[in-house]
Amino acid sequence: MTTNTVSTRRSLLKGGALLAAPLAVGASAAAIAEDGRKARLERLEDEAAIRALHQAWLRRINTGAREDAAELFADPKRAAFDKAVRGVAADHAAEPDAIKVAADGARAAGRFHCAVEIETEIPKDGALAQMAHAQGGGFIRHTERRVLKADYVKADGAWAIAKVEFASA
Amino acid sequence: MPGTPYPKQQMHRIAYTKLSEQQIADKLGPVAKRGPKCASPLSDAFAGKPLRIVTDKGPALTYKFGRNNRLSVAENGGRAVEAGYGALTQDSVVFFSHMIPGTQRGYAVIIDRAANLATVFELWFSGYKDNREVQRAIYYGYVEQPGQPAPKDRHVTTNRIEGHGYYWKQDTGARTLEFYPSAAYSNFVELTRLGGELGYCGPSDYIKINDELYIYTRTECEFSGTFTLYVMDLNRVEQIGVRLGFDASDALEYYVFRGKGEWLGQIAQFEKFGDVSGEPVPPPADGSKGARRVYRPLATMPKMSKAEVDAAVAKKTTVFAPGSIMAGNGAPPTGWLAGKALTLRYDDGPVMDYRFDDAETLNWRKNGGGWTKARYQAWEPAPGVILFGHLLEGEPNHDGHMVVADFDHGLVTCFNGYLNTPYFANEAGVKTLFGVIEMEGVNPPQHLRHQFTDEMLGRAMTWSYGPGLTSMHLYSTPHSVSWIIFTASGAGGMEWSGPGAFVKIRDGLYFLYWLEEACNGTLGTILVNMRTMHDAGIGYHCGEEGLSMSQVGAHSRHAGRFDVSRFYQIKTKGSAA
Repeated sequence: MTTNTVSTRRSLLKGGALLAAPLAVGASAAAIAEDGRKARLERLEDEAAIRALHQAWLRRINTGAREDAAELFADPKRAAFDKAVRGVAADHAAEPDAIKVAADGARAAGRFHCAVEIETEIPKDGALAQMAHAQGGGFIRHTERRVLKADYVKADGAWAIAKVEFASA
Repeated sequence: MPGTPYPKQQMHRIAYTKLSEQQIADKLGPVAKRGPKCASPLSDAFAGKPLRIVTDKGPALTYKFGRNNRLSVAENGGRAVEAGYGALTQDSVVFFSHMIPGTQRGYAVIIDRAANLATVFELWFSGYKDNREVQRAIYYGYVEQPGQPAPKDRHVTTNRIEGHGYYWKQDTGARTLEFYPSAAYSNFVELTRLGGELGYCGPSDYIKINDELYIYTRTECEFSGTFTLYVMDLNRVEQIGVRLGFDASDALEYYVFRGKGEWLGQIAQFEKFGDVSGEPVPPPADGSKGARRVYRPLATMPKMSKAEVDAAVAKKTTVFAPGSIMAGNGAPPTGWLAGKALTLRYDDGPVMDYRFDDAETLNWRKNGGGWTKARYQAWEPAPGVILFGHLLEGEPNHDGHMVVADFDHGLVTCFNGYLNTPYFANEAGVKTLFGVIEMEGVNPPQHLRHQFTDEMLGRAMTWSYGPGLTSMHLYSTPHSVSWIIFTASGAGGMEWSGPGAFVKIRDGLYFLYWLEEACNGTLGTILVNMRTMHDAGIGYHCGEEGLSMSQVGAHSRHAGRFDVSRFYQIKTKGSAA
């Protein structure tokens, strides 16, 4: 997991916002603007952190490090994930990722369109299937377009995954 | 005195002795000192010379070759030991083999003098629970040349031999047909040792030396455990190699050999174009020396008594249950027989009367006995030809009939499956019954019958039963069927074989069976339509879960044909091969 994205965005936003600010504004207007910028910055930071969390989860799922993926959950017991899923890749032909942070800033939801590689084990009925298993195969893989729905919670200033599930695209 | 010089049983029926380590050591001792035999003159290419071989993840071997096929070898700088060896040359390759006296280990070494590369096979006994099975580990390396840098290249595993088939005749007189339809296994027919009745399979290595020279090995796992290795020259169709193991009478075979061959053809490969990689079946993750995946069907099959079979059949019998994974590409059944009544009169077999209630229920009676209701299914793979199958409830051996009836010609062939066979009661046996159809509107012939055929002999056909379930059949002898399981990359992987038979129904329409003897015990029957490249078939199987008859159906591709029929003609004066 990296936080480079967050700090880079913050720097750009700060610089951009300052350059765009009018030279003379009233005190109350400036305060409102400052509050708005702060809220926007916080939201962008939250979104970036959630995006990074999502990427970390993807990496662990795609590399088979599922036990490590549990560390990213607020409750590791809720990390159980469809064992048939062997890989998840972003579906760049679908709608862009969407992350919505709740008004309280402590909860968020993400929707990620993706291509999911699903592995189904072939029953060991008969010599062919048994031999396929014996040589390290014996499964079928296919790819489906799905929407990954994730809920997030923020605790002690850090985001964690509350729940992950797939829905049909 | 005329006679057949073959063992009483075929390889899969021989009860090979479970040799102890001491028995093996006792037999290896003198042979290790003497070195391998050879029917041809041995090479003295290395006589009087030193040789140091360095391998990447294996031993460094320091040799001193003396006269009279003696050498000394030091492993990894250790103490040198003396042994007998045998060497042969072929083009730029020198091959030699020796054992290490006082051990159950030895080496087979291939030196590629043109590239200064070496591939070393370490061989040993007593490395598997069946001590007689020769184990092997392969090390790639080079011959150290003082003052010269180590070459970067190595010999590599390859699929470039996949699809080839050869007839080989060794200088010992042993003749074989050898097929490489897989990049991990091979199929061999022992013409002289066993009479060429059946093809057998073993795990194999395929290693490229250069574009015309390749190293091949096989181990007769599940059988004698004998190891064969040779370097083959594809252009000259010549081989040099070694055979190491214990035969059916537990005599130690350890000899190096020369051989000449004939090219039998080339069948298709199914990897992506450009993929020449070898070793498509990855070794197990345990990383132990020489580890590889070996199909051990006899070791893993359930072996049931007659009482256990009777109990299993009584407990559960399944006939054409929907969802058979082997029928994912099966054709839909036909109701053509519904409402019909007919008699199938088999020559030297039963007279079977039938009344078909509907598309799934029939009534049968045997030799005029009582009627029995049974579930059946039928298919019409070609116009006027019906395949149907049913179990014969109440028969003591739990028979099943898989029947091809040609109503245009009034002919019928039945593969009569049954249980309670001599080796394992759950292993299916089969009788082939030829006969005629008697029914209104059909005038059966008096003399004409379906016949066994060799028109499928030498062919390889892929069978795609459903997603992830594609195999290839190789009909390497007139009496056997071999099946090769593809890996995810389309490479041929594990392979096994069993007895089989082929009946011609019409041009391009063949009814065949295979028996998974000493394997799963299944009887597989398929009616192959070479016009539609589709089959319709029925499987008959008994295991601990019960007796089943199930649909089989797959799409096919013709992968090619080996030219082998001339090896199976019965000749005069008892020359059977």
